[in-house]
Order: sequence, then C-alpha cells, then structure tokens
Amino acid sequence: MNIHINDPFFDEKIRAQSGLYKVIDPELFVNVIDLGLIYELDFNEEGKIKVTMTLSTPHCPMGEAITNGVKNSLEQDFPERKVEVNLTFDPPWSFEMLSEEGRAQLGV
Amino acid sequence: MLIMADINIGKAPPNLAVLPFYATGALAFVIWSFLLLISAESLTGHYFHPHLLTIVHTAVLGWGTMIIFGAAYQLLPVICERDLYSSGMAIASWYCLTPGVVLLAGSFWNFTTGWMMISGGLLVVLSTILYGINVIATSRICSHYSIQRLFLLTSACWLLFTVVVGLLLAIHLSHPFISKNHLDLLKLHAHAGIVGWFLLLIIGVSTKLVPMFLLGKSSKNKLLLLSFLLLNLGLIAFLADGFFFGGHSLRFGLYALLILIGVLCWLIFLGAAYKNRVRKKTDYLMKHTFVAFLMLLLAFAALPLLLFQQDLRWVMLYGTILFMGWISSIIFGMTFKTLPFIVWNNHYKLLSGKVKVPLPKQLYQESLIPFQFYFSLLALSLIIIGIIIQFVILIRIALVIWCIVGWIFLYNVVKVLLHKTTIQS
Repeated sequence: MNIHINDPFFDEKIRAQSGLYKVIDPELFVNVIDLGLIYELDFNEEGKIKVTMTLSTPHCPMGEAITNGVKNSLEQDFPERKVEVNLTFDPPWSFEMLSEEGRAQLGV
Repeated sequence: MLIMADINIGKAPPNLAVLPFYATGALAFVIWSFLLLISAESLTGHYFHPHLLTIVHTAVLGWGTMIIFGAAYQLLPVICERDLYSSGMAIASWYCLTPGVVLLAGSFWNFTTGWMMISGGLLVVLSTILYGINVIATSRICSHYSIQRLFLLTSACWLLFTVVVGLLLAIHLSHPFISKNHLDLLKLHAHAGIVGWFLLLIIGVSTKLVPMFLLGKSSKNKLLLLSFLLLNLGLIAFLADGFFFGGHSLRFGLYALLILIGVLCWLIFLGAAYKNRVRKKTDYLMKHTFVAFLMLLLAFAALPLLLFQQDLRWVMLYGTILFMGWISSIIFGMTFKTLPFIVWNNHYKLLSGKVKVPLPKQLYQESLIPFQFYFSLLALSLIIIGIIIQFVILIRIALVIWCIVGWIFLYNVVKVLLHKTTIQS
C-alpha cells in the first residue's frame, strides 16, 4: 500500500497505518502492513473506512482473527467512522508484496 | 480487482468438536508409551502378542486416529472452504471412539475375546462411520475440486474398511467363521490402515499444510494425482493378492514399489514447496515433520528384509519405525502447528488489534520443543538399534526416553488447553 503525499486523506492514512503496524499475523509474527496484506484504505465516503486486503493463504484458519484485528485497530483510531473490510485474492498475495522490514522479520 | 466480501475465512467448528480429541490423544500417547516400557521384551518376540496388540491399538486408534480426527474436523472447513457438516456428529464420534479404544485395548491385554472386544470394535466402527459421513457431507458441498479432498475422502473409506475387517477378526476370535489364516488377515488389516488410512490422510493434509506453514508453492500438482493412483493401485493389488492368492514375497515387493513411487511423487511435490518457500527458517516442529518423512523412507528400506528374510525382528523394526517414527513424529510436529492456533482463535480473535495479546506460540512452553525433538530422535535411534541387535536393555532405555517425550508432549497440550485469556500490558 502506497500513501502519496498529495492524497487528500494523507494524515488519516498515515494514522491508520501506524495502528495497523500493531496488527500481527499470529502465524507469521509479522504485522499486516509489512506483510503487504493491506491493498487499499478508502476514506472517501463520510463516516466510513473501506479496507481492501488479502490473506497470505486463501481460507487461512487465522483469517478471521486478522481481519478482526484490522477492523478493531481502525475503529479504535477512528471511532467516528464505520470500518468495512473487503477481502480479495485478486491479485493473490505473493512474496513480492513483503516490505523490506517484513522480509527481514521472516528471515528472507 | 475482484472483491469477495462474503468470502468464508474462519468458520471453525466449536471447541467440543476438536479439543477433546487432542486431549485424549495426548493421554493415550503417555499410556501406550508406558505400556510399551513395561512390555519392552515383547519387542524381541512375535508380533501377535496380547500386550503388543493393546499397545498398537492404543497407538493407532487412541493416539494417531484420535488426534487426526480432531485435526481433520478443524481442517476440513479450511480445505473445503465451508462449515463442517455436523459438529454434533464430530462430538459423537469422540464418544464412540474413546470407549471403543478402551474396551478394545483392554480386552487385548489379557486376550479376553468375546463381548468386550467385539463391542469395542463396534464402537470404533460406529465412530468411523460418523467421521466418514462428516467428511463426505462436508466435501460434497466443497466449492471446488481439490486433490486434498480426494485424499481425505478415500482415506476415510480405507479407515472404514480397516476397522470393519478388524471387527470381523475380533468376532472370528470368539466365534470362528473365517477359513483364512488369522495372521495373514492381520497383515492385510494392518496395511489397509497404514497405507489406506494414515498415508493417504497424511498426504492429503500435508500437501495443504506444509506449503501453508512454509509459505511455499509447488506447481507439481500432477504428481499428487499420480501418487494417489499408485498408492491405491498398490494397496488394492496387495490386498487382493494377499486375500485371494495367499500372496508372494516377490509380488508383495512389486506392490510395495508402486506405493514407494507414489510416496516419492508426494515428497517431490513437498520438496518443490520447500525449495520455493518464503520462510527460510525451519523450526523444530517442521523438523519433526521432516524426521517423519525420513522414517517413512526408512520403513520402505526395511521392507526387503521383511519380505525375504524369515526373521521376526524385521517385522518389529518395520512396525516400530512406522508407528513411533513416522506417525508419532508427524503428530508431534503438526499438533503445535494447529492446536495453539485453534485455542488462540477462541480466546483472542475478537481482541486482536484492540489490546496486546499473546502469540499462539506463547500458549505452550516453546523452550521444551527442542527437548521433545532431540529426545524423540535419541529414543528412535536407540530403539532401532536395540531391535536390530535384540538387546532388551537398550530398548528399555529408549522407551524411558520415549516416555519423557510423552510427558513433555502431554504437558504442553494440557498447558494450551487450560490457557486463560490474558491481556499483555
């Protein structure tokens, strides 16, 4: 997920990202941002945050915990907005989506 | 980008449909390890020994099958991307399997044939039917075809075949009605269980889980289909030949070769996933799994001795490598790759992201896992040598170490099961 400095919701997205660094994939012990699971944060609709994200494996047994973690984190940081999490496997998660930090944490 | 808002991501069955199987399995492991320790000398005798029959049935049903049932109820929804068909039937299968194993294993100890052995066998058959219905009905609503589903379905059918044959043998012991040699039938019964049930199921589950844990990908799916065909062909040929024509060592060797090629196809598939893995660090739990694969190959290596030399020690060696080396190692590895996550999910899935919660690996004492790994390796090496040189004291030392492994395993399983929700500051 790239956050552009000209993005009208730059501040909100940076704040959301800081919170999401604390949401860990319990199996891989790496946070969802460095894993590259978050594809998009959409603040355009008033009172709402739409998250488009993926999982490292389709139908991952920990999927519900991870999506709940994302939802909980954003609801804590933005209590005035309702969070909607949309899962996608298009494109599917791949190794290239890991950040440098994520690669280091996985020992790649 | 295709968004699937209603995608099924975590429809786990309730605790009662999964956790009792793990608890009972861990307890059964400690029990059969202890029974083996006090009957160590039976490992240098004939395999048709009452104590060995108790130990083998406690190991394969109370330990192996018990934990596999629990893991399968958890993993079926993951593989089929749908809810488990019936949690009630899953729970009922535990209520049938547990007393079934107790009655069956108990009756073998003093070789008490009759109602106790038969009712134990009946309960095991009933439990298998309940498991089978759940597997069939859950995979019937599978949203897509998968080779794993085929392995799981077929292994459930082989399990039913194995336990029905077992029940018939138990009836035959008190009311003789089979004209064939009991020991020959026992060989067929054992291999239907080893290859048809354990091997097919382990292949089905491992080809889903190992790439998932390693974050690896294997494109060799066609090899899995070939593996499936070869394993079933080899097993059916072995059973048919053994039953109708009495079998012959050379032909049995040929069927074993078919099965070995099937196993190699599966291992090549996993090897490709290992080679393309993202997670480079291999933890002790994965190492247990690799030891299991090695032990399976070792069992194949022992087969020529078994087939062409009339020495019972090779039968014992073959069985020990399979049950203690292969099946136990795979369960050691996979238990802590599944159980802590199941329990963690129940405690923390709603709290994740809100407060700081422990990681699944913090639900058990991770520092004990290297001991579990090295002690099991030591025990396996010593028992293999002990059986080859027929040295009971060495076998007994190996089994003392094996019992320690059992207590470490039980301690960690109980620690996970009794975990209380804790919020870290």
